[in-house]
Amino acid sequence: MSVVEPLSPLAGVLVAGRFGATGEDAVGISERRYDLVQVFARAGRSGDVVAAMQTRFGVALPGPGREGRAPMLAALWIQPDAWLLVAPRGPEGELARTAKQACGDAASVVDQTHGRCVIGLSGARAAWVLGKLCRIDLHPRAFGPGQVAVTPVGGLSCIVHQRDDAPSYDLVIFATFARSFVASLRHAAEETGYRID
Amino acid sequence: MTQPFRSAAGGRIDRTRLLSFTFDGRSFTGHPGDTLASALLANGVRLVGRSFKLHRPRGIFSAGAEEPNALAELRTGARREPNTRMTTAELYDGMEAASQNRWPSLRFDMLSLNGLIAPLLSAGFYYKTFMWPASFWEKVYEPLIRRSAGLGRAARAPDPDSYDAVHAHCDVLVVGSGAAGLAAARVAGAAGKRVMLCEQDFELGGGLLSASQHEVWREDALAALAAMPEVTLLPRTTVFGYYDHNVVGAVERVADHLATPAAHMPRQRYWTIRAETIVLATGAQERLIAFPDNDRPGIMLASAAETYANRFGVLAGSRALLFANNDAAYASFFALQDAGMAIAGIVDPRAASAGAELARARNITVWADSQVIGTSGSTALTGARVARRGGSGADTLVVADLLCVSGGHNPAVQLASQGRTPLEWSDALAAFVPGSSTLAQHSVGAARGVFGVAAAAADGRGWMGVGGGAVALPADDGAPGGMTPFWEVDVAGSAFVDLQDDVTSDGIRLAHREGYSHIEHAKRYTTHTMGTDQGKTGGLVGAAVLAAARGMRVQDVGLPTFRPFTSPVTWGAIAGPHIGKHFAPTRLTALYDWHVSRGAEFMETGQWLRPAFYPVAADADDWESVLREARAVRKAVGICDVSTLGKIDVQGRDAALFLDRLYTNTFSNLPVGRARYGLMLREDGIVFDDGTTSRLAEDHFFVTTTSTNAGPVMAHMEFYLQTCWAEMDVQLASVTDQWAGMSVAGPQSRATISKIVEGLDLGDAAFPFMAVGEGHIRGCPVRVLRISFSGEQAYEIMTPAGYALAVWTAVLEAGEAFGITPYGLEALGLLRVEKGHVTGAELNGQTTAADVGLGKMVKKRGDFVGRVLSQRPGLTDPERPHLVGLRPVIRGNKLRAGAQLVETGSTESLGWVTSVTRAVELEGWIGLAMLRGGAERHGTRMQAAFPLLDETVEVEIVSPHFVDPENHRVRG
Repeated sequence: MSVVEPLSPLAGVLVAGRFGATGEDAVGISERRYDLVQVFARAGRSGDVVAAMQTRFGVALPGPGREGRAPMLAALWIQPDAWLLVAPRGPEGELARTAKQACGDAASVVDQTHGRCVIGLSGARAAWVLGKLCRIDLHPRAFGPGQVAVTPVGGLSCIVHQRDDAPSYDLVIFATFARSFVASLRHAAEETGYRID
Repeated sequence: MTQPFRSAAGGRIDRTRLLSFTFDGRSFTGHPGDTLASALLANGVRLVGRSFKLHRPRGIFSAGAEEPNALAELRTGARREPNTRMTTAELYDGMEAASQNRWPSLRFDMLSLNGLIAPLLSAGFYYKTFMWPASFWEKVYEPLIRRSAGLGRAARAPDPDSYDAVHAHCDVLVVGSGAAGLAAARVAGAAGKRVMLCEQDFELGGGLLSASQHEVWREDALAALAAMPEVTLLPRTTVFGYYDHNVVGAVERVADHLATPAAHMPRQRYWTIRAETIVLATGAQERLIAFPDNDRPGIMLASAAETYANRFGVLAGSRALLFANNDAAYASFFALQDAGMAIAGIVDPRAASAGAELARARNITVWADSQVIGTSGSTALTGARVARRGGSGADTLVVADLLCVSGGHNPAVQLASQGRTPLEWSDALAAFVPGSSTLAQHSVGAARGVFGVAAAAADGRGWMGVGGGAVALPADDGAPGGMTPFWEVDVAGSAFVDLQDDVTSDGIRLAHREGYSHIEHAKRYTTHTMGTDQGKTGGLVGAAVLAAARGMRVQDVGLPTFRPFTSPVTWGAIAGPHIGKHFAPTRLTALYDWHVSRGAEFMETGQWLRPAFYPVAADADDWESVLREARAVRKAVGICDVSTLGKIDVQGRDAALFLDRLYTNTFSNLPVGRARYGLMLREDGIVFDDGTTSRLAEDHFFVTTTSTNAGPVMAHMEFYLQTCWAEMDVQLASVTDQWAGMSVAGPQSRATISKIVEGLDLGDAAFPFMAVGEGHIRGCPVRVLRISFSGEQAYEIMTPAGYALAVWTAVLEAGEAFGITPYGLEALGLLRVEKGHVTGAELNGQTTAADVGLGKMVKKRGDFVGRVLSQRPGLTDPERPHLVGLRPVIRGNKLRAGAQLVETGSTESLGWVTSVTRAVELEGWIGLAMLRGGAERHGTRMQAAFPLLDETVEVEIVSPHFVDPENHRVRG
């Protein structure tokens, strides 16, 4: 029941427009605002958590390197027996409360909606631009839609989530680094040019 | 007449277009397709540089990356770039090039007099001459050496260009695009592999570029590769290093061939390539022969002269002589004859050879069983003296302005060797070739000693073992014939084995005589192979000279270890985008924009930018701002952004037990809704970190750490959970970024926040010191902790970061009536020193809990990390320095952190000052210190000495708790 709309760490920083080199190769950069909740299965309880999340959200919690998808929510594998729930913004804290209610003492639930920031990067040259910041192999045969990697990007801890084969990536980073990260991303995209949407 | 040495036809240059360029201020022209070296030779320029140490005149020696002599500064101003090899610099219109290491001019170089005292500048001369007196080194010798011996000058202004870095992955990385490389890439591409082909030249083809008879095959191969979507061709890309697990580093010169990069185009790109398989088709490098004065301008590798003639349509001289021990060099020399060069003859140390027969059939004079024993000319070669080997017969003076040299060919094994492939000796080549690799690595073609275009292509297409047949081979024009090892002409004189570093064969022998006989020692003693060319043309020759001196075989002496960088790489490419403020990521709190709008002065603390203080117009100086902010906290209320505190969410059935084991004090008996200060030790018993931990539920804690140690504490916790206590049910999450924090401190802090906090009774009874609760401020969720760093009544308000500005603003409005004042890191530090709280200056990695007055926080029962080693005698010694407070006896005197505490009249340090500040609660300066005797010295006087500034201040030793030692205020 917040009366105040939460501010993004990128408020006033991501101004819409076309930047960098001109031409057909421009990639898209945008902030994607989600509710973000970490769910950690407690010792020996991952089966209960998987069942609870299936029942409550209709999502199959994925294994390493994968996403699980439900109509209104995605679950990204982030470490053994832990997932990041990604859902459209709802009332403050509600996703975390719902997840905790569903799992009870089978899981530890931590709201990271404000603690993480999600940057979208998309376009035919998005993998090339991301390759300037990130060591993993983004070739379609190695990394495709629905895949998730927890890896340094631009020197920062990041969750890379490929959403589609455009390709479009969601880059989940620590919120206090968001401006610095965007500066690195803009530098990397100078050569192809980029749109901020 | 322009370009007098350009042939009438032939070569790969575009004769329809002229490019203008300057060298040392003189204007010349060349053509697209030229290098700076080929264009200079076309214009008859022979003298292009001075040598590193002796300032001897030097010319263009090679046609590629192995160039030792022809180094230039390119461009001017901020883009000036030293040590560019003219032989690889692609000519562009408007190029400005300058020679290096000469004064006042290239032709009249004063320091060439060094050549006359060369015997004094022998191997190891730096070590011998400049050992004493030590003070002379900095003032005299080093500036002298830097002025006289050197390479080019770096630009002084920041580089205006941008540099890019990229990671790439492939199934097959092919290095080199000669016949072997192209065939290897084709067969891999045809098999559906993801292929990257790196070529350091701006044109693909390697040796094929000098062999027009194979042009159709080359174009065919390139067209086939271009049609394969999974093949990436990277010309202008030098692979400089081969690292573990088939990771290689490469630099692509994206815009070096342009006067300035196009908008948004990087100047260079640093590639980190991870390849499943690496195919090294790096070719071979011709080597020199050591003979007296083998360094004059006009002396050139035979294959280079052929390249200039065939690829660039340039005759590198008017009348050519060849000195070679192998038939491949004859083929190069015949190409010069075919291009119209006047031929003086061939000098060959071999008594007979197939090459000599062919030469005589071409009416070329061959001096067999002979050698070049000297050369003439000053800034250009005029001739060579030829004599029979063994000293019989008279010398012949042969007039020539081009002396082609070839001592054989070394497979370019640098990358293979970096990739841990052992090298094996080939008697047929008198050179090292790659042995069998432990990695997925293949050397093909000349890189493993398979010479001849057709044979190399066949070798390249065969690397996969299958599929090679589909790739057609170029016409077989035969493999070059034999060679006989020949390293050095055995007559006295300056015979260079390393042209760039001015290392002679005598220098190598001197190193051996003086005990530097191991190849690695000889290298360091003489600087042999230490230049930008890494000894590509003379490295093995020097090793052979050393071997002869030691009475060993060259293969047993070996070569110095090959390491990156195989070719020079600019610092710009290595730094990439990480320059200036982009050196490391910057971390900003959610309130950063507010701090900026309020005119805060910022301070870098680790990666964070934090407000140091907020100056206002009335403040006379920085101190006044800080004191004003601190006074507001002591007298009324202040607010400080403490979002940078590390915050860790700890949950799980064993969360309390986990914290009990990590902290010196106990958390399992902490009630829900309460916070407790905690102290954490390292394994060795030294204090690691401190902070408050709140219990939000039986199985849920909210841990805070110092801003500095947020990451290390998280890592410490993860380490114990993952490696030592895997049986524990504990989950950790970093929530530093989730929660913005603000400290509202001062006698009016409760009055301030009571106005706005909803859903939480802040009354003293319901919410005492160290209470924790949740509520709302203007609808924003908040977590309120009644804790204090300043010693005043204080509350920390945590809110999800997106609400930070709303909550902060609400607190400011609520506190307006009390004169609420935002305070920065400086006032925060002042307040904590007054209160005697320790931070990084005291918890400096050397102090124990007892040292800093926190001995009571160490529990008597129960184990915890650091307990055992904290009980070592050295750490429990009562003589250890303990925390005390200080005040100058004359209150106006300034204290200085780092000062040593001594008794009056003594020079024995008994302690040191850790933190100082001007105070607001008391008059003048105060400080904290670590002092032997600690509390026993309270009330005594000592001297705080700072010898670096010749300062001594008399101080009074007092309790470190200057403010409210009984802690009434925090409870009030």
